[in-house]
Amino acid sequence: MLKWLDERLGAGHWARKGLKKVFPDHWAFLLGEVALFCFVVLVATGVYLTLFFRPDATPVIYDGPYRALRGQEMSAAYESVLRLSFEVRAGLLMRQIHHWAALIFVASIVVHAMRVFFTGAFRKPREINWLVGVSLLIFAIGMGFTGYSLPDDLLSGTGLRIAYSVMLSIPFIGPYITFLVFGGEFPTEGIISRLFVMHVMLLPALVIGLITVHLGILWRQKHAQFRGPGRTEGNVVGKAFWPSQVFKSTGLMLLVAAVLAALGGLVQINGVWAYGPFDPTAVSGPAQPDWYVGWLEGGLRLFPAWEWTLFGVTIPSAFVPGVVIPGLVFTILALWPFIEQRITKDYEVHNLLDRPRDVPWRTAVGTAGFLYMGLLTIAGGNDVLALTFNIPVEGITWFLRVALLVVPVVGGMIAYRVCKELQVGGDHPLRRRRGTVLRRTTSGGFEEVH
Amino acid sequence: MKAGRLAAISFVLSMVASLALVAVYFVGESTPLEGTLLALALGGLGLGIVVWAKSLMSAPEVTEEHEALSSGPEARDRTKAMVQDDEVTRRTLLVRLVAGAGTTLAAALAIPALSLGPRPGQTLFGTKWTSGARLVDRNNDPIRPEDLPIEGVVTVFPEGFVGSSDSQTVLVRVAPDLLEPVEGRQDWSPQGCIGYSKICTHAGCPIGLYRAEAHQLLCPCHQSTFDVLQGAEPVFGPAARPLPQLPLDLDDDGYLVARSDYLEPVGPSFWNMTGGE
Amino acid sequence: MLSLVLWAAGASVAPAQEPDPAEGRELYIDSCASCHGAEGEGAEHGPSLVGVGAASVDFYLRTGRMPLANESQQAVKKEPAFDDAQIESLVAYVSSLGEGPPIPEVDTATAELSAGQELFRDNCSACHGAAGAGGAVGSNAFAPSLLETDPVQIAEATIVGPGQMPKFAFEEEALNDLVGYVTYLQDVPEPGGEDIGRVGPVAEGFVAWVAGMGALIAISMFVGRKRERSPAEPDQA
Repeated sequence: MLKWLDERLGAGHWARKGLKKVFPDHWAFLLGEVALFCFVVLVATGVYLTLFFRPDATPVIYDGPYRALRGQEMSAAYESVLRLSFEVRAGLLMRQIHHWAALIFVASIVVHAMRVFFTGAFRKPREINWLVGVSLLIFAIGMGFTGYSLPDDLLSGTGLRIAYSVMLSIPFIGPYITFLVFGGEFPTEGIISRLFVMHVMLLPALVIGLITVHLGILWRQKHAQFRGPGRTEGNVVGKAFWPSQVFKSTGLMLLVAAVLAALGGLVQINGVWAYGPFDPTAVSGPAQPDWYVGWLEGGLRLFPAWEWTLFGVTIPSAFVPGVVIPGLVFTILALWPFIEQRITKDYEVHNLLDRPRDVPWRTAVGTAGFLYMGLLTIAGGNDVLALTFNIPVEGITWFLRVALLVVPVVGGMIAYRVCKELQVGGDHPLRRRRGTVLRRTTSGGFEEVH
Repeated sequence: MKAGRLAAISFVLSMVASLALVAVYFVGESTPLEGTLLALALGGLGLGIVVWAKSLMSAPEVTEEHEALSSGPEARDRTKAMVQDDEVTRRTLLVRLVAGAGTTLAAALAIPALSLGPRPGQTLFGTKWTSGARLVDRNNDPIRPEDLPIEGVVTVFPEGFVGSSDSQTVLVRVAPDLLEPVEGRQDWSPQGCIGYSKICTHAGCPIGLYRAEAHQLLCPCHQSTFDVLQGAEPVFGPAARPLPQLPLDLDDDGYLVARSDYLEPVGPSFWNMTGGE
Repeated sequence: MLSLVLWAAGASVAPAQEPDPAEGRELYIDSCASCHGAEGEGAEHGPSLVGVGAASVDFYLRTGRMPLANESQQAVKKEPAFDDAQIESLVAYVSSLGEGPPIPEVDTATAELSAGQELFRDNCSACHGAAGAGGAVGSNAFAPSLLETDPVQIAEATIVGPGQMPKFAFEEEALNDLVGYVTYLQDVPEPGGEDIGRVGPVAEGFVAWVAGMGALIAISMFVGRKRERSPAEPDQA
């Protein structure tokens, strides 16, 4: 086999080189792999779902086993999701694993990106891979939102309605591009099949392509690594790809799939039968998107009723929180390596990672950004919070409006101080030694060892 | 426990779970059981492999040197010289024309995208309501004021257009003396029946909630709140515009009818809503 | 399910012993008159009860929402302050003060679930949630969970519109379908495992982060941690 390949592709050399590739040993480097394996599970379960789902808005009358909807008119898309959930063996399991995997796919990308950010792994020469990663995050959110909308249930239809309104709010071009994207005034028949093509073809193709680039660049540039004995800017210290790393990654993939399977089997997610089929004149509560869109929803909820009309041009109140702020967030995120370079004037190649405390100002900025996004996400569920904790929803909204301006700044300042303290103290905050070590002195007494 | 034994047990567990999974599939539906067994099958295999790798492989620490990524100025210059081949760069006119033709072609190829949707035209400015159109509920039944209790609420449509998205209207009945109608709309609410567009002026969600004691309509999506008694002025949340009010009247048979269409665009704001195309 | 139906049927059947309005009046004077006035005419702290009807009185008393200690708060479901017989005589007394809607009869066994689902979706789910788990409706108001409410009280609330809830003038059959669907929701099959509060994506996101991401980070640590001391942390001894 090797001979056959070697004679045609020269596999003898590059295969050995590849198998010898060194992977630094730190658990945080596995977070990106977790995201990758979530994607593998998404593709596997997604293909299965595609075989049963009908991206079709044609009205049909339901006569399946779910009694509470029997006899109702609904889209063929929604009907096929009900059939998948109640009649196809293992169908509900696959659907639920797919949905959990989607939520956790984006979550693991976020955690991986935070690792990269706080350790400065995006610095030269890895700026391109940071851009690829940010694009992957955006496309992952896009895949999530299009997938969430496909079942054509009342909840996701309301989400689409909001997306339509936000698009419509763009000055000058809003109505035109919205009509192109949706095919007319909301609700349109064709939107489900358009979302379907995006969800199962265009976006996955982009994501697969970008993952390939992401890993290719990683392979070419080699891993960055934490500081330690024998580790320099010029080398990588760790384990060879074969066998230990291959085994560990394979094991990790199976364990990720196991967690997703457990969630998919044991915890119900998006029970669309309870929401009912989409009807543009009804709405179900509580009305929320999946978590990764929560910050956009939160922005829409928190933004005050500011709408301006100047020279006959209206700037709708949904425009700033729905378009401008997300645009800024992703622009700043994508350009961060270059912004930081401008500030630090550091144009050197870095293969050794920072610990978060080593660069307090970056850690402070990252903490502030994290808190900002976190608060917006919380705001996206303000009505559920109100119900859970029995507080008026208006109170939560006002609190979060203020908190959004204050908490990131204060949090950033605290993070800065903590980093400074740690630089002095030197110990890892979670791995600080507890108790004291005593040493017996020659005179027979004891002294503390520091 | 010895690592080798733990790995072996994991593999056996995985195998057993896989077999059980097959059995469960044929026996019948149980999503929780399927999920648990699938998790055990995957997890057992994964755990065994990881334990094997961590405990039974020596995996010595190795060091690999970074070779320089940059190929250096000399190599770059040679590449540059190769790209700027005379036979290409000398013909500036052809270079410009080929770029121009390419761009034009790209634009021409993008044009069919316009087939994706109609031009908005006047669609966003009007609804199906017309002068004299009866208000009907979802069952297509016309409504007399007395059909609706005080503090009652119902979603209505113009007769013949039940389910029409842009015409959906929320009809509320309140004690007439509570109403503080907007100037010029004094006779739009016969017997305390008052109709507002059900589409939120913020992000277009149907205004599903009516707080009867407070006489407020509330949007469940972003909590914009509108005062029914005072022309649906927004009192909380991100919506900046009042809900458009449908002018109502009674016909000769005592049924509620619209005096006209809404006098302003319904639904979420857009840039030229004050003017029209 | 069946026992609920029987209970509902039982509740709407007239009791063997006629309730006594006079006894009801005594209870009224003791427990209600301070707010609602000596003859139910209403006073500073409570609205008039003339013409509210049996449905309203029965609803407020059976769900324990009345008597209310603090009028500024939303009345919430609690243990009823009176026993069945007392409630019946109170209902008899207050409904004798003026004509009002009677206690509706429901029979969830004959309800058409699908029609009820449509009514629920159009009229109820925005406030009470798609699964009937309740919702915040702004200000201090909360649409309560319907998952523990008895069928007759669901029907009564629909007609009466207690508190911030609007009144709905459904026909008898429609009302029965609606109540049937809500009782179905109380015992709805959950084929996909734990229902995590039935509040949708907020709870799902929480579980994804805490249970899902938490487990995966722990697994990454298990897989990625070396068994020997990490050279990344220099020896400190």
